[in-house]
Amino acid sequence: MEAEPVPSGPLLEALPAGERVGLAVRGLVRHYARDVTVGPLSFTVAEGEFFSLLGPSGCGKTTTLRCIAGFEPVDAGAIELAGRRIEKVPPHKREIGLVFQTPMLFPHLTVRENVAFGLSVHGFPRREVARRAATMLELVGLSDLGQRRPNQLSGGQQQRAALARSLVLEPPLLLLDEPFSSLDLKLRVQMREELRKLQRRLRKTTIFVTHDQTEALALSHHIAVLSSGRIEQIGTPQEIYGQPASRFVADFIGNANLLDAEVLRWREGIAEIVTESGLRLLARTAAAPAARRLTALVRPELIRIGTAAASVANAFTAEVREVVYLGDEAQYRLRLGERAELLLVRKLTGGDDGLPDASVMNVGIDPRDIVLLSR
Amino acid sequence: MSESIPAISSSLAAEPEAARTRLLRHGSLWLLGPYVLVLVAFLAVPLGNIGVLSFFTSSSARLWSPVLTLANYRQIANGYFLDLVGRTLAIGAVATVICAALGYPLAYYLARCSRAALAIALFLLIMPLMVSAVIEAFGWIAILGREGLLNTALASLGVTFRVDVLYSQRAVLIALVQLLLPVMTLPLMSAIEDIPVRLEEVAQNLGASPLVAFRRVLLPLSLPGLVSGGLLCFTVAISVVVTPALLGGRLGRMLGNEIYDQALSAYDWPFASSLAMVLVLLVFAAIAAILATGPRRQTRGGRA
Amino acid sequence: MRSGHLLLGAYVWGLLCCLVAPILVVVGIAFNPTPRFLLPLHGLSLRWFRDFFTSGEYLHALFAVSLPLATLVCFVSVVIGTLAAIGLVRFRLRGREALEAAFLLPILVPSILLGAALYLFFVRIDLAGSFAALAIGHTLIGIPFVIRVVIAGLSGINPGYEEAAISLGCNRVLAFWKVVMPLVRSSIVSGAAFAFIASFSDVNVALFLSGPGTNTLPLQIFSDIQWQGDPSIAAASAIQVLVVTTLVLAAQFLSRARAVG
Repeated sequence: MEAEPVPSGPLLEALPAGERVGLAVRGLVRHYARDVTVGPLSFTVAEGEFFSLLGPSGCGKTTTLRCIAGFEPVDAGAIELAGRRIEKVPPHKREIGLVFQTPMLFPHLTVRENVAFGLSVHGFPRREVARRAATMLELVGLSDLGQRRPNQLSGGQQQRAALARSLVLEPPLLLLDEPFSSLDLKLRVQMREELRKLQRRLRKTTIFVTHDQTEALALSHHIAVLSSGRIEQIGTPQEIYGQPASRFVADFIGNANLLDAEVLRWREGIAEIVTESGLRLLARTAAAPAARRLTALVRPELIRIGTAAASVANAFTAEVREVVYLGDEAQYRLRLGERAELLLVRKLTGGDDGLPDASVMNVGIDPRDIVLLSR
Repeated sequence: MSESIPAISSSLAAEPEAARTRLLRHGSLWLLGPYVLVLVAFLAVPLGNIGVLSFFTSSSARLWSPVLTLANYRQIANGYFLDLVGRTLAIGAVATVICAALGYPLAYYLARCSRAALAIALFLLIMPLMVSAVIEAFGWIAILGREGLLNTALASLGVTFRVDVLYSQRAVLIALVQLLLPVMTLPLMSAIEDIPVRLEEVAQNLGASPLVAFRRVLLPLSLPGLVSGGLLCFTVAISVVVTPALLGGRLGRMLGNEIYDQALSAYDWPFASSLAMVLVLLVFAAIAAILATGPRRQTRGGRA
Repeated sequence: MRSGHLLLGAYVWGLLCCLVAPILVVVGIAFNPTPRFLLPLHGLSLRWFRDFFTSGEYLHALFAVSLPLATLVCFVSVVIGTLAAIGLVRFRLRGREALEAAFLLPILVPSILLGAALYLFFVRIDLAGSFAALAIGHTLIGIPFVIRVVIAGLSGINPGYEEAAISLGCNRVLAFWKVVMPLVRSSIVSGAAFAFIASFSDVNVALFLSGPGTNTLPLQIFSDIQWQGDPSIAAASAIQVLVVTTLVLAAQFLSRARAVG
């Protein structure tokens, strides 16, 4: 499929130069319970990269993280950190930073003592401990709260303290297990931004586990989408969203119109397909489709309307069945023909096409905006 | 005329409020009353009684005469009885320390193990508490006696070493540890259960070996459980009767034995009362010691 | 680390076996055919149990004193204790924590103190040695067990259930009776079991408060040991153990929650 060139410039970040391997996981297998296996998993995280493990609950992302951290034994496979094999190393010797879902600050120590804990365990001299702890507290914006107990801090502050506690040891790798899921939405967005700034500034190799695709898309250089213990796809946020490798990935990330279809004919980069609901579509694909039965993906925000709809190959008249107003965007449930249903999403901008009240509209899909996936 | 109306309406307004508070008072009266009565009549009064009795004079003719004196306490303060109290305290303290040392790993295991294992383990753990102390002392006689289980086992193995520990303080100690380990372990187990496993994992992740994690995270956080278990352990240990009676011989006699003998053999009730009051004092002292170090424990926490 | 876990497990189960060893030894002796306090067993025999059931003293101790006493104590402890627990949990009283601590005080008071104090008190009102005296003494030990267990059970119940019942038309008492009581039933029963056991196994209080006709089973065993009786002591003990074990298993089965002590 001839893809739209991925936009360069401010949208796309360059990975830190050098691209040395920070963490390599090869063939990781963990038998969780009877019949439940995670793996074999293989992926590589570059030094300084922000890498997310994204997937629904139960997909094995937390298990993978715990294997890397050393709290679950590895049944097969290898884990290499900065060139050193660590899968048999006990957890207190792995030198990996770890932040849990709940901050897990030591309740019997002050914030400062919490941050200093790892340093003193490692035998740093007292003055050094105090200096590093103070620097780290300032970095995360908690200098004034050092003497407080964890239960006197808000959720967001506690999470920042937990982060400081791990980072102060300057580990080569930082692991985060859904660290914001216990915070409310606004705080989550704010913490996300702070984490992003911090990670980019420190160039810390980071693996981030989450079920929230927005977080993964916003933070990561690369994302691995997991399902049922296997990796479905690894790619940049743009690749994951725009060129999903499977139906699962397409469905999991963002909104998706997934239409089961059959290929009628393919010629010179254009495939003619007919969906089970009766729509005939032309889709651009570079190579011939591998199977005759497949799934077509159309992102709801890429469906054109009005005058723009007329100029593309796939043009239809659609009946508006339902409108959902979400403040900054509107979602339309459209009926095409007898049975075909499509979701259309429009950001509500100042200029209007008289959209909100329409009961019938002209819609169009550019052949380049259709992604063909195997069933 | 106009003055009476506000009076009626205000009393009407007060009705539901008064009714509710009346229900509150009556309800709690009926519910808590019986037990309060029991406590006052059968705990407070009898304890007060022996408090008073301990200051009366012993008399061979009338069992006691209401002449106030300190003679009973003076008698305790030296010689045989002072040794007795000292020995009782020592045995109690040692038993408590042994229970703490043996019980901590046990409590940790129980706090972290599976439900199935816990059910079986708890059953085994509570049995010494539930079965009468007499029976357990009997069992120890059979095990530790000169021709008891332990020695016959050693003999059949060809070992020449013989255990001769019965009728001594050591035998009492062994039996006390068996009796009191559950008392120490249960509150401790509760306290450790409240410490999330994640916290231990965090400590390990930050570089602490399991031993260091125990010392700097587990121990400080489980200290309240250790203290309450220790207090209960100590209190029971210094007040046992049957165990030293059957296993202690002459050298293993404890305060409880003396109280019994003075009350029901010698019929010296004032003196028995004073001995009992000493026991009360020891228990209070233990509680006070705990309370005194309590607040400091909270703020100190662990060293960073 | 794995080996550490194995070591700990071995230690724990070994220790637990040591804890019940004396009890098992006694039960073992009860089945020994020879009149010696020895193991290993040379076969199983029930002769000591026959001796037990033909001994007037033991039968009296078990069936005329210990069992009825424990049953009475159990009943009274449950009634008073449950009422007190309800009062503590359901009513917002000032100084509730102090009251709760005071209510559980009898656990801290050593049973020998209770025994001695009650003896010296009852003897002045000519009650010493009577069944009533024993009952009162044992009830005092039993009630705190019931209170502790029932408070734990009550605290675990969401007041939302009562509110739902009230919104459907019940008054406060009815809502409590119909909604909460069934849920604490298992706590009450296990509290009852502990109160029964407390009375059945007690020695220290019985030492002081019993008289010629009110020897409890543990007391009878105690005096027999001191006077060098025969292994029917073991049989008596085995029966004691049997009763207690049954109750403990029943109580454990009921309070399936992990919260103990």
